[in-house]
Amino acid sequence: MLYLELLLQGIVQGSIYALIALGLTLVYGLLRILHVAHAALFTLGAYLGVIVTNATGSLVLATAVSMVVTGVVGMAVYKLAYEPLLGKPPFIALIASIAMFIASEEIFRIIFGPYGLSYTNPPLQGYYEIFGGFYLKYGEMLVIGLSIVMLSILGWLSGNTRLGVSWRATVTDPSMARAFGINIQNVRYLNFFIGSALAAAAGVLVALLNNLVEPTMGSVASYKALAIIVLGGLGSIRGTLVAAMAIGIIESFGTIYLGHILGRDALAFAFLILVLMVRPQGLLGAK
Amino acid sequence: MTLKSKLLGAAISVGLMAAPAFAENVKIGFNVPLTGFAAADGESALNGAQLAVEQVNAAGGINGDMLELVVYDDQASPKEAVPIAQKLIEKDGVVAAVSGSYSGSTRAAAGIFQEAGVPYISAYAIHPDITRAGNYVFRTSFVGEVQGRAGAKLAGENLGLKRAVILTIKNDFGQSLAAGFKEAAAKFGVEVIGEYEYSIKDRQFGPIVSKIRSDNPDVIYATGYFFTAGPLVSQLRAAGITTTVIGQEGYDSQHYIEIAGPAAEGTIITTSLDRDSSAAETQDFIKTFEAKTGHKSDMVAASGHTAIKVLAAAMKVAGTTDKAAIRDAIAATNLVASTGTISFNALGEVQKSVQVQIVKDGNWHHFAVIDDAALLAPPTE
Amino acid sequence: MAYEITLITSMAISVLFALSLNFITGFCGQISLGHAAFMGVGAYTTAAMMKAGVPFIATIPVAAVLAGCLGVLVGIASLRVRHDFLAITTMGVVFLFVGIVRQQDFLGGEIGISGIQASSFGRIGFMAFCLLLAAAFAVFSLVIKRSWMGFVFDSIADNEDVSRVLGIDVSKYKLIAFVVGTAAAGVAGSLYAQQFRFVGPDSFGFVESVSVLAMVIVGGIGSVWGVAVAAAGLSVMPLMIQFVDDYKILVYSALLFSMMRWAPDGLAGIVNRSVKRIRRRS
Repeated sequence: MLYLELLLQGIVQGSIYALIALGLTLVYGLLRILHVAHAALFTLGAYLGVIVTNATGSLVLATAVSMVVTGVVGMAVYKLAYEPLLGKPPFIALIASIAMFIASEEIFRIIFGPYGLSYTNPPLQGYYEIFGGFYLKYGEMLVIGLSIVMLSILGWLSGNTRLGVSWRATVTDPSMARAFGINIQNVRYLNFFIGSALAAAAGVLVALLNNLVEPTMGSVASYKALAIIVLGGLGSIRGTLVAAMAIGIIESFGTIYLGHILGRDALAFAFLILVLMVRPQGLLGAK
Repeated sequence: MTLKSKLLGAAISVGLMAAPAFAENVKIGFNVPLTGFAAADGESALNGAQLAVEQVNAAGGINGDMLELVVYDDQASPKEAVPIAQKLIEKDGVVAAVSGSYSGSTRAAAGIFQEAGVPYISAYAIHPDITRAGNYVFRTSFVGEVQGRAGAKLAGENLGLKRAVILTIKNDFGQSLAAGFKEAAAKFGVEVIGEYEYSIKDRQFGPIVSKIRSDNPDVIYATGYFFTAGPLVSQLRAAGITTTVIGQEGYDSQHYIEIAGPAAEGTIITTSLDRDSSAAETQDFIKTFEAKTGHKSDMVAASGHTAIKVLAAAMKVAGTTDKAAIRDAIAATNLVASTGTISFNALGEVQKSVQVQIVKDGNWHHFAVIDDAALLAPPTE
Repeated sequence: MAYEITLITSMAISVLFALSLNFITGFCGQISLGHAAFMGVGAYTTAAMMKAGVPFIATIPVAAVLAGCLGVLVGIASLRVRHDFLAITTMGVVFLFVGIVRQQDFLGGEIGISGIQASSFGRIGFMAFCLLLAAAFAVFSLVIKRSWMGFVFDSIADNEDVSRVLGIDVSKYKLIAFVVGTAAAGVAGSLYAQQFRFVGPDSFGFVESVSVLAMVIVGGIGSVWGVAVAAAGLSVMPLMIQFVDDYKILVYSALLFSMMRWAPDGLAGIVNRSVKRIRRRS
């Protein structure tokens, strides 16, 4: 039973990683930028979620507001920071992105204080006991459920709508897509909007599980999500989902059974290095 | 809050400048993390220290001279702390200094202060080697092992809970607390049935919560800070685990109760600040701190406050700015401060009793006092 | 004077550290997000050996060799993975390094190693020693840059596949770059341990790795002078801008971002452009 519970915990963590890493994959697929500042949008989403919930009492409204606002901020980040750097060597954008991330942590601290914020009435605290000693917390169920719903919607959109098709065409072959009359600029905006909104959703969910948002809450996401998209094979959406789950599950079991040998982060990166030495293109990357 | 504390800081320095012309300012250094990951504790420590300086000055300063706090942000990094220590000694000419920072930076700076023969007091950094830098370095808080041993006594003797799971935060704080707890566990009949580690960055404890349920212990000895313990305890309770949680001074903040909410009720910690203390000094600190900052006091603030008070008292006794005389006066301290009655052993470690607090109705309250001198004896070399 | 001496010593150590990364990233084009691990290897080597009574000078070659050995391993990995994959692999190396060090009792675990003895140099002597090493490595870098090897590095950085076609043994040169760069980082680590007399696992993590990469890029990737100036400046910047107080790190990150946004070729690029402009005018 314990193994099952640990597996479930791994899936919960994996779902959160997936929501965060997906935005990074989208950006990488389109622009070849390692978008570290994505984690700042995750933090922003979490702050907005807590602030709006505390003001209105509605978690649903807060999630919606947080996703939309963060999505728009994500578009602004593209316009103001990345667009001018597109022709430059990739590490320029990487350092610029890291600088934005560091600045964001300081801005959150200066505006909202170093102690962080919490829900005044934390929603969804409690659990179901399904059968003999198998427990599911409300918050965790919401994490898994919402991740499945959002990823399914995204999958459906990309397969069945004009927008989705033009998006996939742009990722596969930008010049060909342009030749077919697709407005690449719009696709990029959409890309940043969706990726940032998903990160915001992850932020709201994490805030719910921890009942705490802090200026530095994005620091783990900033590097762990990079590891996940590389593990998945940079730019591969399916690879990212598989890698997110793999890291989530490895961390879950590792925390309990290997914690005295290697910490959670080190474990995740040991796995990453191991995989890359065998498959340099990542789990599902194209050679 | 930061803006407010800055304004307060500015107000203090203005106040100091406006001090009567005949009184000279005596400078004491204060290194503290105000930016970066440790900024929350840094702000508390600074507020506590500033309150102490105001109180000392309002009561006539050091034999007529006003205290001036020279504050530098060290980001809790040894790399920043070393040049800051040099700067305080050389450029600012401080007569003594206090660390309101974490272990790494305090340990690195301690060597510099020792070499220069400038008295240095660590307010709440717990690294065992800090006081080993030499005879000019003191500490007004417990080392981790002492508090860990107190935790074992609390579990085994006071509460009669014998099967314990230990959660260790992976840093010097957690490592030394866990070592102390394990060392004393057998003596109080406590059996450690599981030990798990987590990183200071972790906020999600799902796997550990599941494992604790299957271990089914009587008590959870969870080392950590309010920002890790808050999420941990709320996740434990949300999963229906009602086992008693024993924490330490890292929990000792109103923010812990804000984060964990109702789940915080019944958490018991070992710390050095007694909210229901009858001591006038402690009551006065709790009241004035709240009036000054607008939020409730915590252990870190009280520690910053205590360290400055100890230093000021020693300077008064020494009656001179001679550093060796101040050092000797600190070593001979016997002072009632906001975190208890302070005296030092030969190494410069504090000897005082451990306060046990419990969360009741959304506030910290008195639960017990552990004053077993043999158990709480700090290292002497 | 002790304050200025401390600052100059810190600057010299940072210059050596940044130049060591410049050798790998600037010259040979191999990006690393985990360079602090090699400094950590050097720092821990010196700290542990000095605690065991070995004199400071004798620990430096050992630190260089051990850091270089780890460098070979990472270099071999760099033959497998490229570009962004390499960046994240090296990031993994630093997390793994910190994760492993944390669990080693003989390295002090979480507590680290403190109470490291002072060298026999004295403060001023040690400062001179650090300056000397940093200057020596800068000269060495300049010589290599202008040598045949420098051209080969350039061509690998420019286009690995073309270099291979030209008959260059790409693997060999990449490994050379990694060994030299990481061994020098190990020496910088030795100096770090002696300067701060305290090493702990938190001092050699991802953040340190990013800040040294920032020094290289702000200086102008590949430019020895640019990187040296940037390293010297950025290493003491937090102390110099104490007056902005609460906004210290914000100012630092804003500067870094502006640099990338408006002057991506770094200090070296700014200087080159101004020199050209002046020449054109005259």
